[in-house]
Amino acid sequence: MKKRFSSLLERINERFSSPIGRWVLIGIVVGLILILPMINFQQRAFWVRVIGYTGLYIILGLGLNVVVGLAGLLDLGYVAFYAIGAYAYALLASGHFDIHISFWLVLPFAALLAGFAGILLGIPVLRMRGDYLAIVTLGFGEIIRMLVTNLTDLTNGSQGLIGIDSPYLFGLELKTSTHFYYMIFIFVIIAIFVTQRLDRSRVGRSWIAMREDEDAAQMVGVNTTRYKLLSFAVGAFIGGLGGAIFAAWQGSIFPDNFNLMVSVNVLCLIIIGGMGSIPGVVIGSFALITLPDILRQFADYRLLLFGFLLVVMMIARPEGFIPSRRRQLELHAEELAHAGPAEITTEGGA
Amino acid sequence: MGFDVSSFIEQLINGLTVGSFYALIALGYSMVYGVLTMINFAHGEIFMVGAYVGLYTMNRLVDVGLYDSSKILAVGITFIAGTIGAAITGVTVERLAYRPLRRAARLAPLISAIGMSIFLQEFIRLLPNMGEAITSISIGSFTLFPENIQTAVVGFLQEFGGSRVKTYPGVFGVGGFDIGDIHITYSRLIILIMSVLTMLGLYFLVRYSRLGKAMRAVAEDKDIASLMGIDIDQVISRTFLIGSALAGIAGVMMGMFYLQIRPTMGFVPGIKAFTAAVLGGIGNIPGAMLGGYALGLGEVIGVQFLPAVYKDIVSFSILVLILIFKPTGILGEVLAEKKM
Repeated sequence: MKKRFSSLLERINERFSSPIGRWVLIGIVVGLILILPMINFQQRAFWVRVIGYTGLYIILGLGLNVVVGLAGLLDLGYVAFYAIGAYAYALLASGHFDIHISFWLVLPFAALLAGFAGILLGIPVLRMRGDYLAIVTLGFGEIIRMLVTNLTDLTNGSQGLIGIDSPYLFGLELKTSTHFYYMIFIFVIIAIFVTQRLDRSRVGRSWIAMREDEDAAQMVGVNTTRYKLLSFAVGAFIGGLGGAIFAAWQGSIFPDNFNLMVSVNVLCLIIIGGMGSIPGVVIGSFALITLPDILRQFADYRLLLFGFLLVVMMIARPEGFIPSRRRQLELHAEELAHAGPAEITTEGGA
Repeated sequence: MGFDVSSFIEQLINGLTVGSFYALIALGYSMVYGVLTMINFAHGEIFMVGAYVGLYTMNRLVDVGLYDSSKILAVGITFIAGTIGAAITGVTVERLAYRPLRRAARLAPLISAIGMSIFLQEFIRLLPNMGEAITSISIGSFTLFPENIQTAVVGFLQEFGGSRVKTYPGVFGVGGFDIGDIHITYSRLIILIMSVLTMLGLYFLVRYSRLGKAMRAVAEDKDIASLMGIDIDQVISRTFLIGSALAGIAGVMMGMFYLQIRPTMGFVPGIKAFTAAVLGGIGNIPGAMLGGYALGLGEVIGVQFLPAVYKDIVSFSILVLILIFKPTGILGEVLAEKKM
């Protein structure tokens, strides 16, 4: 059962890993997404919102993917950076303190602030691995949420911040979901481009070396301290960016928007898609964010299903649906080691 | 405001009560970490399941009148039921979600544990909904289950779980006694005594029984233990059984003490108990007990200086600080880094 399921996926993957097949598929999907808001159909507004929201999660997923997928650091407090980005924009562009700075100025600032918070979190956890890191980052996420809830003077507590300014682009006020839909689309493309370049650079190779074996990586001259902090910073930067966009889109934010479940959702979509794989993040977002929104009657069971999926995925297919090749080899290293040499060549050549 | 000795002592007793909960839950984390070097993320949820099974049992005992005729017997049965419920859950979780991953890569069991934690929480929350969905399946006009069965099943599940807060009957009452100016409620005293007795029992079990010896051997070195003829899977399974049973006791106790239980109740005590386990030195059984009480007292003292809303932030900060400066904990043997 497990074998058959895997080989079916293998065949689908192969079909789309030929260059032409892949580009045709990407072209169709991108084209559909681009024209969707222009088609006039009954539930257009709903779809634009859902797909836009999915795009936001793709951005978050790409950010966390750098930390979890590439550098192999299990961060359960990713929502903290999302919250920092969102609150940074909300405080600097709303009536709360009567400060109104342009979105395009605050956006890089919010992202940098989140990136800086990423480094701050990174420094104490440098020596930790695996489970410990997971718990500390989880605690960090909760601390940020509690601070946001309790620092009433600064954040207006659980009443939230409302009346956040809309961004302006060449005199056009961006306020409808369709505007944000296209804006998010552009940021998704940028995020994909940046993370992919990082993945294939010297930095990406260092992250992966570190993920595979930290001691060995250090031995061959990878500065693990620097690269760990860099991965936290890049991940947090992207998370902060997502947060600022979210705040601008919603127009109001509340501490409840930033609970643990955001981190869990993002982590799940990475794992379902395939840790370390960028197409995996995209597919994972559509599977975990779009699908449950369409299947409204099952919305209640969403988290139950997520929990179940995490367990099943870890047992049946830990590399996710669209695995990155290196990650797949790593996760099946044990099986490969026990298999005969012939099997290794077939696996490696697939 | 002057320093009030009697209220300070009352606060200390308060801290020890809260510490008892943390210590009991921390033991489960620590024991599992000892044999598997993994953090059982779902442990807080096992504690929650214990509280729910306990409450269901107690309500039935109230219905049949046993609670009114013999309170002690009813409370005893409730504790046993909650303990068994949690123990069964723990062993099942280990069997389904962790055992298949015994030889998997480092992150896999951890993610599986997070999945299990979410699953258990949602499972308890959605029980009535699922019951209703399943029993109301119909094909055309033919319904799979007759209406009376449907109402019975949904009624049972609503009694058991669901998203709404459930309330334990006030078992301990609000009574207490005074020593001088110091007021001690019976509930705190009972909780303290029960926890200490439970932990003493556990200590002797691990120190002197055959199973305890096997557990320590597995914690020391799994492969060598297996060569000495120890059934590793069985020892791990029993470790989960004992650890979960302790969480079940803590769950029922917390339900009786704070009265209200909800599906998310396991999260915060879970993290705090983990902090306690780390504080005492994870993998170390006396350490977990010590860490639990230390954290309970630390929280009570912290609240003297800071607004109560920052209580949780204090605990999380303690966790981060220990992991940075003394990852081995107070009685620590295992390094945070080494055994990963």
